[in-house]
Amino acid sequence: MNLDRKNTPSISVNLPAKPAASVQKKKRMKAGTFQYLILLLPPLLFFVVGMVIPLIMGIYNSFTDWDGLSLEKNWIGLTNYMEIFKDEMFLNSFKFTAMFMVFNTLIQNVAAFLFAVMLDSNIKGKNFYRTIIFAPVLLSPILVGQIWTKMYGTILPSINDMLGLSINFNFFSSPDTVMTGLLIANNWQWIGYWMLIYLAGLQAVPKDIYEACTVDGGSWWQKFIHITIPMLGPSITICTIGIATGSLKVYELIVASTGGGPGDSSKSTIMYIYDSAFMSQQSSYASAMSVIFLLVLLVFAFIQLKVLRKREVEL
Amino acid sequence: MKKYGKGTLVLQVIGTIIALVYLLPFLVVFLYAFKSPEELISSSPFSLPKKLEWDNFSQAFEALNFWQSFGNTFLLTASAVLLLILLSGMAAYSIVRGGSKFFNGSYMFFIAGILIPYQVIFVPMFVLGSSLGFINNLFGVIFLYVGTSLPFAIFVMAGFVKTIPKEIEEAAFIDGCSIMRTFWVIILPMLKPVAAALTIILSLQIWNDYLLPQLFLTDNNMKTLTVMQSTLFSAFETNFNVGFAGIILSSLPILILFLLMQKHFVKGITMGAGK
Repeated sequence: MNLDRKNTPSISVNLPAKPAASVQKKKRMKAGTFQYLILLLPPLLFFVVGMVIPLIMGIYNSFTDWDGLSLEKNWIGLTNYMEIFKDEMFLNSFKFTAMFMVFNTLIQNVAAFLFAVMLDSNIKGKNFYRTIIFAPVLLSPILVGQIWTKMYGTILPSINDMLGLSINFNFFSSPDTVMTGLLIANNWQWIGYWMLIYLAGLQAVPKDIYEACTVDGGSWWQKFIHITIPMLGPSITICTIGIATGSLKVYELIVASTGGGPGDSSKSTIMYIYDSAFMSQQSSYASAMSVIFLLVLLVFAFIQLKVLRKREVEL
Repeated sequence: MKKYGKGTLVLQVIGTIIALVYLLPFLVVFLYAFKSPEELISSSPFSLPKKLEWDNFSQAFEALNFWQSFGNTFLLTASAVLLLILLSGMAAYSIVRGGSKFFNGSYMFFIAGILIPYQVIFVPMFVLGSSLGFINNLFGVIFLYVGTSLPFAIFVMAGFVKTIPKEIEEAAFIDGCSIMRTFWVIILPMLKPVAAALTIILSLQIWNDYLLPQLFLTDNNMKTLTVMQSTLFSAFETNFNVGFAGIILSSLPILILFLLMQKHFVKGITMGAGK
């Protein structure tokens, strides 16, 4: 409102002083920028309120002793951060999450890549295979957790009875096997997603490169090593970063399957942050953990981008 | 192209085995959802149900409070996605055509948000949300989804708007069309292909999300399908076929969307990964 009152007189004063054409142009440009601004403001408002302010609040709270409920809030500097590195539970949850990420990145990348190569060959019924492998992506991780809990607990053991075998399928009942169980469930869900990305990458490789290689007497293995893998460099980067950052955020799958157990052996970092904030009322401590976790995420994304991009160039 | 040789046959066999392994959990869900509680104990997991036990579904339907939670989830997802497309279109257009440093700067500001998943700021989001009255408020949760997904949507949109030739708008300007009107009448309809792809990927994310609705929507009449489903197996511990029927009920809407828009799905996902 203030803007209007200030602008109107100044324009009317300036008008007679300048040649008509240039004023018209200037006025038009100003009005233009103003209209662009109007278009930009609503999204900016949503972004600032929904994301930027919470981020700043989180960083600020991490330096206080606030419990999330009371009115009392004291600045305690880096105390929360010192606590974190002494907190066995945080270190364990972080170790679990990091291991989960490493295994996922390896398994999902390799499997998705191979599945995509398979679907890019001339086997029959490609659409059928693709749809089936992709289907679990559509489910919420909550459902995936529930399905696999029942698979390990009830369904697979009864296959043992049927076939007279004694394979231990009860992955979620021991701290030693819980990681394996979660990895199977998680990979069952997500391989299909990354497979589609590799498939799109494969289909973008010009076919005449392969033909040229055939003419030169190259075997399928040589084509795979010297053409397919280098040409898919960008896809490998995308998938590796996507899988790694996605696995670091694991929460829903675990809530619906092991609940962090047995003991606390499968508690992920996000889960521990959640519990600290909403179960044991340590809001500021949870915020400090979030900040650390965010830094880790950023560092990972940055390193991976650097390393993988460099490899792409070298190849 | 290559012939269908011996190698291809081997691949076909491997592919079939993989597909069977993938199908196994789905098969189990379907078989159990239709079995009677007695068959849980007596029959093997892969035997067909003796008769279709629709009672499981009516129990799950009731336990999920289906129409209410379906309505909540639908309203939440549809409004958030619609707003996201509209707002990201507006932002992308002004950023790409605005021309001054301010617009470039705000682009970098938005894009930095892609690196921050909402899972690392949900604690302060909840604190802020409670003071803004977002608890048990669908609009509040919609607002938060829009705020946290905008960076990605703007990134995708801006990439697309850059490819629209300027001549189209210039013609409109000469005809006396204002920038605002040009956006609504000319640019917005041109965003359809990218909007379709974004709709797919964002709907999938928001429909299946658990953390935010579980934190904010605690009233039983406000809960989403995924949140309702999350407690179904503990509620029906002995006759867990109801839980399986619930899995089918709560994933059916998104499966139907997938079947209807399969082509766009692939495009949406490959585009979504472009970040």
